[in-house]
Amino acid sequence: MTNDLSTAVEVDLDMIAEQVWSAFLNGDNEEETIFAAPDTGAHTDLAASVAMVGAYEGHLVVSCSHKASRDVASVLFAMEPDEVTPDDVGDALGELANVLGGNVKSVLPSPSQLSLPRVSATAHERWPGTVEVCRTVVRWRDEAYVVSLLSGGQSASNNTQGA
Amino acid sequence: MLGIVIDDSRAMRKILRGLLADLGYEVLEAGNGREALDLLQSTGRVPDLALVDWNMPVMTGLEFVIEVRKITEMRQMTLMMVTTESEHGQIVRALAAGAHEYVIKPFTRDGIIDKLALLGLVPVGVSS
Repeated sequence: MTNDLSTAVEVDLDMIAEQVWSAFLNGDNEEETIFAAPDTGAHTDLAASVAMVGAYEGHLVVSCSHKASRDVASVLFAMEPDEVTPDDVGDALGELANVLGGNVKSVLPSPSQLSLPRVSATAHERWPGTVEVCRTVVRWRDEAYVVSLLSGGQSASNNTQGA
Repeated sequence: MLGIVIDDSRAMRKILRGLLADLGYEVLEAGNGREALDLLQSTGRVPDLALVDWNMPVMTGLEFVIEVRKITEMRQMTLMMVTTESEHGQIVRALAAGAHEYVIKPFTRDGIIDKLALLGLVPVGVSS
């Protein structure tokens, strides 16, 4: 199934991102996090994505720099940024995409299924046949995190779970 | 009290383990439902509480709940889904399969503790 790309999809990515950052990443003494930050075409190295298959088909993608990904992992694993391993980064960034994707899915046409997260270098990641429905930029600890909702494409390639 | 955190994300397991440990729980971990079943069956231990993610490889959280409910010795274990699956139909499926509670990610620490308190699973004398 593919989406009718002309169908308007109402997703408040800013609100969802704020909820996720507040719950998992912002500590008590956290410096200001800027939601709906200016989209200045930030450089990104890594992309974490989850695919949605069903009534809605597409991907939720979080892209950021290597430093930003280490910052996320260091908070979730309670380690110093220079102590986190590539596995930690993949796990943490993947879970960030998973939680964002799950919350986005809840306001999209249902029923849809969410895949397990996939993390890869931005330079190698492609989502052929997709269009970007909406995006937001979160600026946290002086790093940009681009959150994009894509529609269409070959969602099933992202190892969608059966339940 | 004994708890088990079942989630394929190590980061999420660490967060939930810390939360339960702060409440005085001894905590086991598993990366999916099958791993959890194997761990519990090999050790013969029955946790008071399982925090269960939904989307995991090998065996999903829903499949774990269904399997656990077939095992007489594990029937007293309280099952709390902690997942991004927030569609009403999914929540109904999990509760119908035997889950006792349902928490949607992102959760707050207090939100989980409040639900555990309602289930009588916060040890006396422990505050959030």
